[in-house]
Amino acid sequence: MSKIKPVTKKICVVIPAFNEEQVIKDVILDVKSSFDKTNYQTEIVLVNDASKDNTAKIAKKYGATIINHILNTGAGGATATGLSYAQQNDFDIACTMDADGQHASEDVVKGVKLLIEHNIDLMIGSRLISSQGMSTAKIIGNKGLSFITYVLFGINSTDSQSGLRIFSKTALEQLHWKTNGYEFCSEMLWRAKQQKLHISEYPIQAIYTEYSMAKGQNNWNAINILKNLIRRRVVEMFE
Amino acid sequence: MRYIILVVLNLPIILLALLNIITQYKMKRMSKRRFIKQLILWVATLTIIAGSYPLYNLIIGRPSLDSIDLSVFDIVQTTAIIFLFYIINKQRQKSEQNERRLRDLHQELSIKLSLHEKN
Repeated sequence: MSKIKPVTKKICVVIPAFNEEQVIKDVILDVKSSFDKTNYQTEIVLVNDASKDNTAKIAKKYGATIINHILNTGAGGATATGLSYAQQNDFDIACTMDADGQHASEDVVKGVKLLIEHNIDLMIGSRLISSQGMSTAKIIGNKGLSFITYVLFGINSTDSQSGLRIFSKTALEQLHWKTNGYEFCSEMLWRAKQQKLHISEYPIQAIYTEYSMAKGQNNWNAINILKNLIRRRVVEMFE
Repeated sequence: MRYIILVVLNLPIILLALLNIITQYKMKRMSKRRFIKQLILWVATLTIIAGSYPLYNLIIGRPSLDSIDLSVFDIVQTTAIIFLFYIINKQRQKSEQNERRLRDLHQELSIKLSLHEKN
Protein backbone atom coordinates (compact mmCIF):
# COMPACT_ATOMS: atom_id res chain seq x y z
CA MET A 1 0.00 0.00 0.00
CA SER A 2 1.44 3.33 -0.99
CA LYS A 3 1.65 6.05 1.61
CA ILE A 4 -0.30 9.23 0.97
CA LYS A 5 2.15 12.11 1.16
CA PRO A 6 0.78 14.87 3.42
CA VAL A 7 0.28 18.17 1.60
CA THR A 8 2.76 20.74 2.88
CA LYS A 9 1.41 24.24 3.11
CA LYS A 10 3.45 26.94 1.41
CA ILE A 11 3.90 29.81 3.85
CA CYS A 12 5.23 33.26 3.01
CA VAL A 13 6.45 35.36 5.95
CA VAL A 14 6.40 39.00 4.86
CA ILE A 15 8.52 41.45 6.83
CA PRO A 16 8.15 45.09 5.76
CA ALA A 17 11.29 46.92 6.87
CA PHE A 18 12.72 50.40 6.90
CA ASN A 19 16.19 51.00 8.38
CA GLU A 20 16.26 47.94 10.63
CA GLU A 21 19.90 46.81 10.21
CA GLN A 22 20.42 46.53 13.97
CA VAL A 23 17.81 43.84 14.56
CA ILE A 24 16.93 42.27 11.21
CA LYS A 25 19.44 39.44 11.54
CA ASP A 26 17.90 38.26 14.83
CA VAL A 27 14.36 38.57 13.47
CA ILE A 28 15.13 36.45 10.38
CA LEU A 29 17.06 33.80 12.31
CA ASP A 30 14.27 33.63 14.89
CA VAL A 31 11.60 33.11 12.20
CA LYS A 32 13.77 30.50 10.48
CA SER A 33 14.36 28.51 13.64
CA SER A 34 10.66 28.53 14.55
CA PHE A 35 9.48 27.42 11.10
CA ASP A 36 12.26 24.81 10.82
CA LYS A 37 10.50 22.92 13.61
CA THR A 38 7.35 22.65 11.46
CA ASN A 39 6.70 20.84 8.20
CA TYR A 40 5.65 23.97 6.34
CA GLN A 41 7.47 25.06 3.22
CA THR A 42 8.48 28.58 4.24
CA GLU A 43 9.90 31.59 2.45
CA ILE A 44 10.87 34.74 4.30
CA VAL A 45 10.30 37.85 2.20
CA LEU A 46 11.74 41.14 3.35
CA VAL A 47 10.21 44.18 1.68
CA ASN A 48 12.90 46.80 1.94
CA ASP A 49 10.97 50.07 1.87
CA ALA A 50 13.88 52.10 0.44
CA SER A 51 16.01 51.80 3.58
CA LYS A 52 19.13 53.95 3.72
CA ASP A 53 21.13 51.40 5.72
CA ASN A 54 22.20 47.77 5.18
CA THR A 55 18.87 46.14 6.08
CA ALA A 56 18.48 44.42 2.71
CA LYS A 57 22.10 43.25 2.55
CA ILE A 58 21.95 41.68 6.02
CA ALA A 59 18.57 40.06 5.37
CA LYS A 60 19.81 38.59 2.09
CA LYS A 61 22.89 37.20 3.84
CA TYR A 62 20.65 35.30 6.26
CA GLY A 63 18.48 33.78 3.55
CA ALA A 64 15.53 36.13 3.08
CA THR A 65 14.14 36.96 -0.35
CA ILE A 66 14.50 40.68 -0.85
CA ILE A 67 12.05 42.96 -2.59
CA ASN A 68 13.52 46.42 -2.83
CA HIS A 69 11.09 49.30 -3.04
CA ILE A 70 12.30 52.02 -5.36
CA LEU A 71 10.46 54.67 -3.35
CA ASN A 72 9.62 54.77 0.34
CA THR A 73 5.87 54.12 0.53
CA GLY A 74 5.16 53.41 4.18
CA ALA A 75 4.11 50.29 6.09
CA GLY A 76 0.86 49.87 4.14
CA GLY A 77 2.54 50.00 0.75
CA ALA A 78 5.36 47.65 1.79
CA THR A 79 2.89 45.13 3.23
CA ALA A 80 0.81 45.28 0.04
CA THR A 81 3.92 44.54 -2.06
CA GLY A 82 4.85 41.56 0.12
CA LEU A 83 1.34 40.11 -0.02
CA SER A 84 1.16 40.69 -3.76
CA TYR A 85 4.38 38.66 -4.10
CA ALA A 86 2.83 35.89 -1.99
CA GLN A 87 -0.27 35.85 -4.16
CA GLN A 88 1.68 35.86 -7.42
CA ASN A 89 3.84 32.96 -6.24
CA ASP A 90 0.86 30.86 -5.22
CA PHE A 91 1.46 30.68 -1.48
CA ASP A 92 -1.28 29.04 0.61
CA ILE A 93 -0.81 31.31 3.59
CA ALA A 94 1.01 34.60 4.15
CA CYS A 95 2.00 36.19 7.46
CA THR A 96 3.13 39.72 8.18
CA MET A 97 5.21 40.70 11.17
CA ASP A 98 7.15 43.75 12.32
CA ALA A 99 10.85 44.01 11.53
CA ASP A 100 11.79 45.60 14.86
CA GLY A 101 11.69 42.35 16.80
CA GLN A 102 8.43 43.19 18.54
CA HIS A 103 6.82 39.86 17.63
CA ALA A 104 7.83 36.41 18.76
CA SER A 105 8.13 34.03 15.81
CA GLU A 106 6.43 31.26 17.87
CA ASP A 107 3.33 33.45 17.79
CA VAL A 108 3.47 33.52 13.98
CA VAL A 109 3.62 29.70 13.85
CA LYS A 110 0.79 29.51 16.40
CA GLY A 111 -1.32 31.86 14.25
CA VAL A 112 -0.73 29.79 11.13
CA LYS A 113 -1.85 26.63 12.96
CA LEU A 114 -4.98 28.35 14.27
CA LEU A 115 -5.84 29.74 10.84
CA ILE A 116 -5.61 26.27 9.28
CA GLU A 117 -7.47 24.52 12.12
CA HIS A 118 -10.37 26.96 12.28
CA ASN A 119 -10.55 27.78 8.57
CA ILE A 120 -10.11 31.51 9.11
CA ASP A 121 -9.28 34.06 6.41
CA LEU A 122 -7.62 36.78 8.44
CA MET A 123 -6.06 36.10 11.81
CA ILE A 124 -4.88 39.03 13.93
CA GLY A 125 -2.31 38.62 16.67
CA SER A 126 -3.62 40.81 19.46
CA ARG A 127 -1.14 42.32 21.92
CA LEU A 128 -3.99 43.62 24.03
CA ILE A 129 -5.86 40.47 24.99
CA SER A 130 -3.12 40.20 27.59
CA SER A 131 -1.24 43.50 27.52
CA GLN A 132 1.69 42.42 29.68
CA GLY A 133 4.89 44.33 29.04
CA MET A 134 3.16 47.16 27.21
CA SER A 135 3.45 50.67 28.56
CA THR A 136 0.29 52.50 29.67
CA ALA A 137 0.76 55.11 26.94
CA LYS A 138 0.88 52.39 24.26
CA ILE A 139 -2.15 50.62 25.74
CA ILE A 140 -4.14 53.86 25.64
CA GLY A 141 -2.99 54.67 22.09
CA ASN A 142 -3.76 51.22 20.72
CA LYS A 143 -7.09 50.88 22.52
CA GLY A 144 -8.04 54.36 21.32
CA LEU A 145 -7.34 53.44 17.70
CA SER A 146 -9.25 50.17 18.07
CA PHE A 147 -12.21 52.17 19.39
CA ILE A 148 -11.96 54.58 16.45
CA THR A 149 -11.85 51.61 14.06
CA TYR A 150 -15.04 50.37 15.69
CA VAL A 151 -16.77 53.77 15.43
CA LEU A 152 -15.75 54.37 11.80
CA PHE A 153 -16.03 50.88 10.36
CA GLY A 154 -18.03 48.85 12.87
CA ILE A 155 -15.22 46.35 13.45
CA ASN A 156 -14.69 45.07 16.94
CA SER A 157 -11.00 44.32 17.31
CA THR A 158 -8.95 44.45 20.51
CA ASP A 159 -5.81 45.41 18.58
CA SER A 160 -6.61 46.98 15.23
CA GLN A 161 -2.99 48.19 14.79
CA SER A 162 -1.24 44.87 15.21
CA GLY A 163 1.37 44.10 12.55
CA LEU A 164 1.19 40.36 13.12
CA ARG A 165 -1.45 39.05 10.74
CA ILE A 166 -2.03 35.77 9.00
CA PHE A 167 -3.81 35.60 5.64
CA SER A 168 -5.49 32.70 3.90
CA LYS A 169 -5.30 32.29 0.12
CA THR A 170 -8.80 33.78 -0.20
CA ALA A 171 -7.75 36.83 1.83
CA LEU A 172 -4.64 37.24 -0.34
CA GLU A 173 -6.79 37.31 -3.46
CA GLN A 174 -9.51 39.58 -2.13
CA LEU A 175 -7.85 42.06 0.21
CA HIS A 176 -6.80 45.36 -1.33
CA TRP A 177 -6.50 48.62 0.54
CA LYS A 178 -5.83 52.18 -0.55
CA THR A 179 -3.84 53.78 2.25
CA ASN A 180 -0.06 53.54 2.49
CA GLY A 181 0.68 54.62 6.06
CA TYR A 182 -0.04 52.87 9.36
CA GLU A 183 -3.78 53.51 8.89
CA PHE A 184 -3.77 50.55 6.48
CA CYS A 185 -4.13 48.29 9.57
CA SER A 186 -7.64 49.58 10.23
CA GLU A 187 -8.51 49.91 6.55
CA MET A 188 -7.51 46.30 5.96
CA LEU A 189 -10.02 45.16 8.59
CA TRP A 190 -12.68 47.28 6.91
CA ARG A 191 -11.94 45.74 3.49
CA ALA A 192 -12.00 42.28 5.04
CA LYS A 193 -15.43 43.03 6.49
CA GLN A 194 -16.64 44.33 3.10
CA GLN A 195 -15.41 41.12 1.45
CA LYS A 196 -17.18 39.09 4.17
CA LEU A 197 -13.95 37.37 5.16
CA HIS A 198 -13.77 35.32 8.34
CA ILE A 199 -11.73 37.44 10.81
CA SER A 200 -10.45 36.22 14.15
CA GLU A 201 -7.95 37.19 16.86
CA TYR A 202 -5.59 35.33 19.12
CA PRO A 203 -3.37 36.54 21.96
CA ILE A 204 0.29 37.24 21.31
CA GLN A 205 3.07 38.68 23.39
CA ALA A 206 4.66 42.01 22.57
CA ILE A 207 8.40 42.17 23.09
CA TYR A 208 9.39 45.71 23.88
CA THR A 209 13.09 46.40 23.88
CA GLU A 210 14.78 49.77 24.13
CA TYR A 211 15.24 49.60 20.35
CA SER A 212 11.61 48.82 19.49
CA MET A 213 10.38 51.44 21.96
CA ALA A 214 12.53 54.05 20.25
CA LYS A 215 11.56 52.92 16.74
CA GLY A 216 7.86 52.27 17.25
CA GLN A 217 5.02 54.68 16.66
CA ASN A 218 4.25 57.24 19.29
CA ASN A 219 0.80 58.36 20.29
CA TRP A 220 1.07 61.55 18.22
CA ASN A 221 1.08 59.39 15.12
CA ALA A 222 -2.34 58.17 16.23
CA ILE A 223 -3.69 61.65 15.38
CA ASN A 224 -2.29 61.31 11.88
CA ILE A 225 -3.81 57.84 11.53
CA LEU A 226 -7.15 59.14 12.80
CA LYS A 227 -7.13 62.04 10.32
CA ASN A 228 -6.40 59.73 7.38
CA LEU A 229 -9.01 57.18 8.46
CA ILE A 230 -11.73 59.82 8.75
CA ARG A 231 -10.78 61.23 5.35
CA ARG A 232 -10.93 57.76 3.77
CA ARG A 233 -14.31 57.04 5.40
CA VAL A 234 -15.80 60.37 4.27
CA VAL A 235 -14.43 60.10 0.72
CA GLU A 236 -15.91 56.64 0.30
CA MET A 237 -19.33 57.83 1.35
CA PHE A 238 -19.49 59.55 -2.05
CA GLU A 239 -17.85 56.79 -4.04
CA MET B 1 -38.33 83.12 -15.63
CA ARG B 2 -35.33 83.11 -13.27
CA TYR B 3 -36.12 79.57 -12.16
CA ILE B 4 -36.11 78.47 -15.80
CA ILE B 5 -32.67 80.10 -16.26
CA LEU B 6 -31.44 78.24 -13.17
CA VAL B 7 -32.61 74.91 -14.62
CA VAL B 8 -31.33 75.70 -18.13
CA LEU B 9 -27.86 76.63 -16.81
CA ASN B 10 -27.52 73.64 -14.50
CA LEU B 11 -29.17 70.92 -16.55
CA PRO B 12 -26.24 70.46 -18.99
CA ILE B 13 -23.74 70.12 -16.11
CA ILE B 14 -25.89 67.52 -14.35
CA LEU B 15 -26.58 65.62 -17.57
CA LEU B 16 -22.85 65.64 -18.35
CA ALA B 17 -22.12 64.24 -14.90
CA LEU B 18 -24.78 61.54 -15.33
CA LEU B 19 -23.46 60.67 -18.79
CA ASN B 20 -19.94 60.47 -17.35
CA ILE B 21 -20.86 58.07 -14.55
CA ILE B 22 -23.00 55.86 -16.82
CA THR B 23 -20.14 55.64 -19.35
CA GLN B 24 -17.62 54.84 -16.58
CA TYR B 25 -19.90 52.13 -15.20
CA LYS B 26 -20.65 50.58 -18.60
CA MET B 27 -16.94 50.51 -19.40
CA LYS B 28 -16.38 48.71 -16.06
CA ARG B 29 -14.21 51.50 -14.69
CA MET B 30 -16.59 52.05 -11.78
CA SER B 31 -18.00 49.58 -9.29
CA LYS B 32 -21.78 49.10 -9.02
CA ARG B 33 -21.72 50.48 -5.49
CA ARG B 34 -19.91 53.63 -6.52
CA PHE B 35 -22.19 54.01 -9.54
CA ILE B 36 -25.35 53.85 -7.40
CA LYS B 37 -23.99 56.41 -4.92
CA GLN B 38 -23.00 58.82 -7.67
CA LEU B 39 -26.33 58.31 -9.45
CA ILE B 40 -28.28 59.11 -6.26
CA LEU B 41 -26.12 62.20 -5.70
CA TRP B 42 -26.68 63.69 -9.16
CA VAL B 43 -30.35 62.72 -9.43
CA ALA B 44 -30.89 64.38 -6.03
CA THR B 45 -29.14 67.52 -7.28
CA LEU B 46 -31.30 67.51 -10.42
CA THR B 47 -34.47 67.06 -8.35
CA ILE B 48 -33.56 69.93 -6.03
CA ILE B 49 -32.80 72.27 -8.95
CA ALA B 50 -35.92 71.27 -10.89
CA GLY B 51 -38.06 71.44 -7.78
CA SER B 52 -36.83 74.82 -6.54
CA TYR B 53 -39.77 76.75 -8.00
CA PRO B 54 -42.55 74.50 -6.62
CA LEU B 55 -40.64 74.47 -3.32
CA TYR B 56 -40.54 78.27 -3.28
CA ASN B 57 -44.28 78.43 -3.97
CA LEU B 58 -44.86 75.97 -1.17
CA ILE B 59 -42.94 77.83 1.48
CA ILE B 60 -43.85 81.40 0.52
CA GLY B 61 -46.16 83.03 2.98
CA ARG B 62 -45.24 80.69 5.83
CA PRO B 63 -43.70 82.85 8.55
CA SER B 64 -41.00 80.39 9.61
CA LEU B 65 -39.89 79.49 6.06
CA ASP B 66 -40.65 82.67 4.12
CA SER B 67 -37.82 83.85 1.86
CA ILE B 68 -37.12 86.35 -0.87
CA ASP B 69 -37.37 85.48 -4.56
CA LEU B 70 -34.42 84.02 -6.50
CA SER B 71 -31.92 86.69 -7.54
CA VAL B 72 -29.49 86.66 -10.48
CA PHE B 73 -26.67 86.38 -7.95
CA ASP B 74 -28.33 83.24 -6.49
CA ILE B 75 -28.46 81.71 -9.97
CA VAL B 76 -24.79 82.46 -10.65
CA GLN B 77 -23.73 81.19 -7.22
CA THR B 78 -25.76 77.97 -7.44
CA THR B 79 -24.49 77.24 -10.95
CA ALA B 80 -20.89 77.91 -9.86
CA ILE B 81 -21.25 75.55 -6.87
CA ILE B 82 -22.68 72.74 -9.02
CA PHE B 83 -20.03 73.28 -11.70
CA LEU B 84 -17.22 73.24 -9.11
CA PHE B 85 -18.71 70.14 -7.53
CA TYR B 86 -18.67 68.44 -10.93
CA ILE B 87 -15.05 69.45 -11.60
CA ILE B 88 -13.83 68.43 -8.11
CA ASN B 89 -15.58 65.08 -8.33
CA LYS B 90 -14.08 64.37 -11.75
CA GLN B 91 -10.58 65.45 -10.69
CA ARG B 92 -10.73 63.35 -7.54
CA GLN B 93 -11.67 60.30 -9.59
CA LYS B 94 -8.74 60.92 -11.93
CA SER B 95 -6.32 61.54 -9.08
CA GLU B 96 -7.37 58.33 -7.29
CA GLN B 97 -7.08 56.36 -10.51
CA ASN B 98 -3.57 57.72 -11.10
CA GLU B 99 -2.57 57.07 -7.49
CA ARG B 100 -3.73 53.46 -7.78
CA ARG B 101 -1.93 52.99 -11.11
CA LEU B 102 1.28 54.46 -9.73
CA ARG B 103 1.11 52.24 -6.67
CA ASP B 104 0.48 49.12 -8.75
CA LEU B 105 3.31 50.06 -11.10
CA HIS B 106 5.73 50.63 -8.22
CA GLN B 107 4.69 47.36 -6.61
CA GLU B 108 5.08 45.33 -9.80
CA LEU B 109 8.33 47.01 -10.73
CA SER B 110 9.80 46.38 -7.28
CA ILE B 111 8.85 42.69 -7.36
CA LYS B 112 10.01 42.14 -10.95
CA LEU B 113 13.33 43.99 -10.52
CA SER B 114 14.12 42.23 -7.23
CA LEU B 115 13.41 38.81 -8.70
CA HIS B 116 15.45 39.66 -11.78
CA GLU B 117 18.39 40.58 -9.54
CA LYS B 118 17.92 37.36 -7.57
CA ASN B 119 18.05 35.20 -10.70
